[in-house]
Amino acid sequence: MTAALRRWFYDARVRAWISQAAVAGAMFGTIWYFVANASENMVKAGIASGFDFLWRTSGIDVPFKIVDYTPQNNIVDLLWVGVANTLLVSLLGMALATILGFLIGIARLSKNFLLRGLATGFVEFVRNIPLLLFVFFWYFGVIRALPPPRDSFGAFDTFFLNNRGLYVPAPTEGHPFAAVSVAFAIGVALFLVLRAWAVKRQAATGKIFPIWAAGTALIVGVPLAAAIVVALTTSWSVPVRGGFNFRGGFVLVPEFVALLAALVTYTAGFVAEVVRGGILAVGKGQKEAAASLGLTPGQTLRLIVVPQALRVMVPPMTSQYLNLLKNSSFGAAIAYPEIVSVFMGSALNATGQAIEIIAITLAIYLVAGLAVSMFMNWYNARIALVTR
Amino acid sequence: MFRRLAASAALMLCFAGAASAQQLTPSPTLDAIKARGHLECGVHLGLPGFSFADDKGVWQGIDVDFCKALAAAILGDATKVKYTPTSVQQRWPILQSGQVDLLSRNTTITFSRNASLGVNFLGINFYEGQTFIVRKKANISKPDEMDGATVCVAAGSTEEKQATDWFAERGKKVTIVNFQRNDDAIAAYDAERCDAYTAGFGALAGQRSKLKAPDDHVILTQLISNDPQGPTVRYGDERYQAVVRWVLNGMIAAEHFGITSKNVDEMRRSSTNGEVRRILGVEGNFGQMLGLSNDWLYNAIKQVGNYGESYERTVGMDSPLKLPRGPNQLWTKGGLLFTSPFQ
Repeated sequence: MTAALRRWFYDARVRAWISQAAVAGAMFGTIWYFVANASENMVKAGIASGFDFLWRTSGIDVPFKIVDYTPQNNIVDLLWVGVANTLLVSLLGMALATILGFLIGIARLSKNFLLRGLATGFVEFVRNIPLLLFVFFWYFGVIRALPPPRDSFGAFDTFFLNNRGLYVPAPTEGHPFAAVSVAFAIGVALFLVLRAWAVKRQAATGKIFPIWAAGTALIVGVPLAAAIVVALTTSWSVPVRGGFNFRGGFVLVPEFVALLAALVTYTAGFVAEVVRGGILAVGKGQKEAAASLGLTPGQTLRLIVVPQALRVMVPPMTSQYLNLLKNSSFGAAIAYPEIVSVFMGSALNATGQAIEIIAITLAIYLVAGLAVSMFMNWYNARIALVTR
Repeated sequence: MFRRLAASAALMLCFAGAASAQQLTPSPTLDAIKARGHLECGVHLGLPGFSFADDKGVWQGIDVDFCKALAAAILGDATKVKYTPTSVQQRWPILQSGQVDLLSRNTTITFSRNASLGVNFLGINFYEGQTFIVRKKANISKPDEMDGATVCVAAGSTEEKQATDWFAERGKKVTIVNFQRNDDAIAAYDAERCDAYTAGFGALAGQRSKLKAPDDHVILTQLISNDPQGPTVRYGDERYQAVVRWVLNGMIAAEHFGITSKNVDEMRRSSTNGEVRRILGVEGNFGQMLGLSNDWLYNAIKQVGNYGESYERTVGMDSPLKLPRGPNQLWTKGGLLFTSPFQ
């Protein structure tokens, strides 16, 4: 071996490349082996394989969907129904669990004995009960609490509530409410501009602008105004009483409410502990310093404690959000049509292609989970202590 | 001349020798069952009348009886069965992967299952048909009157798709709510989440006992589908498949010829009917032709009974389900049961 070749071979970077290539090769080789082996054995056993089934007519009805779908659509459309329902309950669940968890976490540290005791009791209760039981508890609780269709609660002859769901009017065609999300984006943009101006003005003059009140007005008010305009200009399908139940309109099914409530209350218990830990991690001297500057307890919490606590809280919160995303699969137990229920349940049984369907489901959870992680990592980097 | 004769005689001997050595095609499933000493049978999670563990933990039901009869035919002992309860979703992987030797669990025979799941259906032990259970106070007498109703169903069952198709074809709007497990769907129906729960009439008769007040409900008599059900096995191993098919045929034929668990010994001693003698192994060697002992069906009938005895004991008049024989009666008595001859 020539000296040059030897030097090349003993170069740390070259060595690193060789070992990386070997690991990658072994990994892909193993995957290749498993895939080839499985498909060969499936052909031998007479089991259909491949992804053609995604374009077959599904023939499966779904009671709750936020995308356009009928049983005449393909199985791939059914998959999107499941994905959309999973994301809907997960994202809403994350937002509500964060709010509830914050409140309970702060209550855990309250000086008020009763409040503190209740919050502690709640945390211990939800942390020590299996989530499946919790989901059933909420589900049968919700159904039993609501009246059967013949005794529905009604309001203005347009909104009805019974144990089949909440019936609200829906636009007869199209999605006119897309305008509302545009209005929401405009509201957020206006809020950001206003905040930049308020910060600048406060730095220059010391005057405090009521930015939160104004911001809430913008973020809620602009879409609300848009919604009212849209509502008055569209034609509506209003629920009407039929033989068994109401027809027409949009139905918010009890499965959705029960699953959302179970996920929010369950995750809030864990979030509360993360929040408590984060607040306790902020040095006592910070609060004392804030008090000596004349800040009110509310201002101290909002301006001094929470921003510093967030740095400690964000990484464990990421885990809680991922847990919530994955726990949404418990919806399958109570007939909430999320991805596990419609795709791994109904579609799998209609086609029998277990390997493909489970692989697709895994891939979708993986992508959704990684997206949540990426967002949280970006946020973590943004609020991290910048040292110069 | 003589040499040629000797050569052809030697050739003939070779054929004969080879033929006698190859009399039975290899059957890995039968060999495995005999080697392990018990049959692995996939049954329902719990469906009274068909397959369920009673209060002593003993498996009972018409589908369980078939597992017992098969074990009696192969191993000579109807108790040598290990039951694996399977859900609607688990049943196919469990059968395909070889964890069980057969499924005997209210599984409807369908084209796409036969064509794409690698499974064969070996006969019909229950002619099931889909219908609905509704509350008496709802005043429904046939499925046509269910426009606007909400129906609870187990996800992935044939009933889920069938109900969707049936109502769509008639222009009726019905909301289908699909649960992962039958029991959750029934519980939700009982909690008035749905106006109806759908399954086969036989399954409904069994599941009715799970409702809080079974008498407040009524099972509609009009059926919206044909759901024939029977023992299901993997592709391959035709000799084992023949055993499963002919044990079922044997139980039905036994009822036709009046062979029961009580008179089987006497029939074996004194019957002059050729087919009865062949079924009971007195004449011919039918058991051996499948690689079993000649008293294979004698054991099955003696220990489990004929089809009619099993039916009456599990789902019929001697059971809490009280299902009339209906289509599950011999064709000679107005039913659909018809078997091929033991010749």
